[in-house]
Amino acid sequence: MTKLLGLQPSRRSVLGGLAASAAMTGLATRFAQAQSSAPIKLGFQLHRTGIGAAYGRWYERTAMAALEVVNAGGGINGRPVEILFEDDGTDPARGAQAIDKLVSQDGCELVFGPLFSHVVVGSAPRAGELKVPYLVCSEGHHVASGILNRWTLQPGITDVKSQVLAMAPWVSDTLGKKVTMIYPDYAFGYDHRDNFVPAMAAAGGEVVAQIAIPPTETSFTRYFPQIPRDTDVIYHVMVGPAVLTFVKELGEFYGSGARPEIFGFIDSLEAVDMASPGLEFLEGTHFWEGDCRYLQADATEHTKAYRAAVGIDDNGASITDSKEVATVAHMFSVWETLFVIKAAMETVDYQGPADRQALVEAVEAMTIMAESAEHPQGDKVFNGKTHQVFGHQNISKVEGGRMNRVYRTEIALGDYPDEVDYTTMSF
Amino acid sequence: MTGPARTPWLTAALALALAGPAHAHASERMVILTLPTGPFLVGAGLAVLLGVVAGSLGGRLPGFGARRLADWPGEGVALSWLGFAALLGLLAAGTWGDRDPLENPLPLVLWLGIWVALVLASSVLGDLWRPIAPWRGPVRLVRRLLGRRGGIGLSRLGHWPAVLGLLAFSWFENVSLAPSDPWVLARVAGLYWLTIFLLAVAEGEDWLDRGEALTASFALFARVAPLWRDREDGRSVLKIGLPGAQIVAMPVLSAGEVGLVTLLITSVTFDGLSESFWWLGRIGINPLEFPGRSAVMGIHSLGLVVAWGLVTASILGAVALGGAGRTVLLSFLPISAGYHVAHYLVALLSQGQYGIAALNDPLGRGWALLGLPDHWASFGFLTDRGWVWAIWGTQFTLILGAHLLAVVLALKLAGRKLRAHLPVTVLMIGYTVLGLWLLATPTAG
Repeated sequence: MTKLLGLQPSRRSVLGGLAASAAMTGLATRFAQAQSSAPIKLGFQLHRTGIGAAYGRWYERTAMAALEVVNAGGGINGRPVEILFEDDGTDPARGAQAIDKLVSQDGCELVFGPLFSHVVVGSAPRAGELKVPYLVCSEGHHVASGILNRWTLQPGITDVKSQVLAMAPWVSDTLGKKVTMIYPDYAFGYDHRDNFVPAMAAAGGEVVAQIAIPPTETSFTRYFPQIPRDTDVIYHVMVGPAVLTFVKELGEFYGSGARPEIFGFIDSLEAVDMASPGLEFLEGTHFWEGDCRYLQADATEHTKAYRAAVGIDDNGASITDSKEVATVAHMFSVWETLFVIKAAMETVDYQGPADRQALVEAVEAMTIMAESAEHPQGDKVFNGKTHQVFGHQNISKVEGGRMNRVYRTEIALGDYPDEVDYTTMSF
Repeated sequence: MTGPARTPWLTAALALALAGPAHAHASERMVILTLPTGPFLVGAGLAVLLGVVAGSLGGRLPGFGARRLADWPGEGVALSWLGFAALLGLLAAGTWGDRDPLENPLPLVLWLGIWVALVLASSVLGDLWRPIAPWRGPVRLVRRLLGRRGGIGLSRLGHWPAVLGLLAFSWFENVSLAPSDPWVLARVAGLYWLTIFLLAVAEGEDWLDRGEALTASFALFARVAPLWRDREDGRSVLKIGLPGAQIVAMPVLSAGEVGLVTLLITSVTFDGLSESFWWLGRIGINPLEFPGRSAVMGIHSLGLVVAWGLVTASILGAVALGGAGRTVLLSFLPISAGYHVAHYLVALLSQGQYGIAALNDPLGRGWALLGLPDHWASFGFLTDRGWVWAIWGTQFTLILGAHLLAVVLALKLAGRKLRAHLPVTVLMIGYTVLGLWLLATPTAG
């Protein structure tokens, strides 16, 4: 948009005055092929406030960056595109209200973008009642588990079940056979435990201890003696404000002596500077990353273009503040989801709400998504029955305070049997 | 706004029951949790104790005199009209403007500009709210047009209408579902303005000082300021003195004012407490997957009222036990101001940036009036050890300073008998430690 209009876009709605501006600047021709040149309005359910705000900031930036690319390329079906953001307070009750507002009041064609599982689960029924496509960027297993509805899809990011399953073979082959899991004692931790324990067994390894830590715990030293002495690998997924304390105390526990290999999910430290106090101990440990925070030496042109558009530097921090680290491991899903929407709308020659059902069917019909400017995280396979996409996972090693990718899984490694067939459900 | 989902409570409950993996992220508190804050808590408590003991043993207490700097006639309402015009603009922005709470000027001005920045400024420069409060001008005009004199007896209620208003304000801010939603806020603020306007037209503009919650609260916050304006014989007089100079010259607080002070202290205390792991653990909420305000509105409504009761009972109880008289209650004024500023400091530094960014592009047109780039608002400093130390140091200074000033004022106002001050001292030590603990303890979000 900056290039098109020759001025800074409004952050809120790039197309606020586009119709008028376009006419004045000769842009009208670019969008003229469409029967209607009225903007296509897409609703974005945004965690602007509440506990998801750190993610929300970057999800919004990613959405705006992708929107600029879409509009610079002629919009969708020749029509300009507008995104309306609605704060859900990271609260399921407000999430449902946000869907109502975006659809009923603002006339959005669909809603996309939420991350937090409780918001998704609390909002999806409303999307179903309104019969409006709801494309989530949550990585939760709730979509593929079958508890939601035909209108809810997750085409931009692999679910956590698949991520965890894909890690086990590499952990077993590379780091060691005997794993101790340390996880918070609630659903998030259970997802890791329930999926990793059998996957590790299937990979020839063994989870020798499961240390569940109460969510309100802020000091961890007393749990570490429970780590069996013959542990080869510690698998940790601690989250929350005490995560630096966790790492610091783990470091103090092992001191400078020998320690097991350590493997974690970057969810623990998403948006946290690796130079934060206490994290020195992570040097030499490994992390799962959905997308690599640090620019890799072999990064594709598409990845570079995507990162430049969103505005992150080589360390995954904002280009305007090197200490503000982006939610790189997850936010690509917003970018890719917008391009899935574009592709589906163009497939069905989307005109308006009457085409919403066809839009869902078009996404269901998708299979292979090639690595491209639209899918910079990598190629993916979409499962129309479970409404869930599957992709490559990255394993990175902390070296010199940055994370370097040491392994990239095959997509098939994250496969698991379908748990639902949404295509047999009515709209 | 279209109506909310027909069954928001049900969907929230369903979400709670079904929530699978949730994302939690390391919050602004993660760095401070790695810092040794414990010794600061102990040290602050000891400092308050030492202050009382040393002060009661002897030594000279400050005189707390005041000097006149300037005076000028009358009290105009021009700024009030300006405030009124600004309010209309803000309500319009809230109703029709950008719906983003961090870009719409209404929530930014009200929650950060007035309730944080203006309180901070008023506790240094004297009451800056009263002149711009958007009622006096319109009320004076309408009463003149109606030829109305006298009132309807509201003044007999003293400060209690303001206490009621502040309780509603505090609930709206700390408990209600969407206090920052511009559309919701525009309606609530508009309704509040209208209610106060009608009451003030009926009762007279002087009633605003006692009956309107913000005006009455700012008057109390500003009592700690070293620079202030008095009204003497129809003239405005600018004065300067030590922080607390205004307080030693005050009459004892009315029952309603005591209600206001305790509620102001409660409001920020409960706001901090209700986000803490400790509290959420007590009410059975997992702080790592905080389900949102909708799930805790009932218990937090109750908690706010109970907390107010506890704060009031402990303060009144300690004062009664010491037997030094009601005058000691005045010493809690600096505490309410210090807590308020310390509590909102991080919000001011972080979300305040959005306020500046909004000035950069007030109409969302892609302007850069201040030359700021896109995405200028940035929170990286919250994970920087140096910054976190600096913020903690400032908060520590504010809270300890407020308590030490309170100690000096108590000694000044109620004599130096140690025994008479002991109960309040114990309370203040406890409150100093609690106040600092609330700023250092892990919170959801």
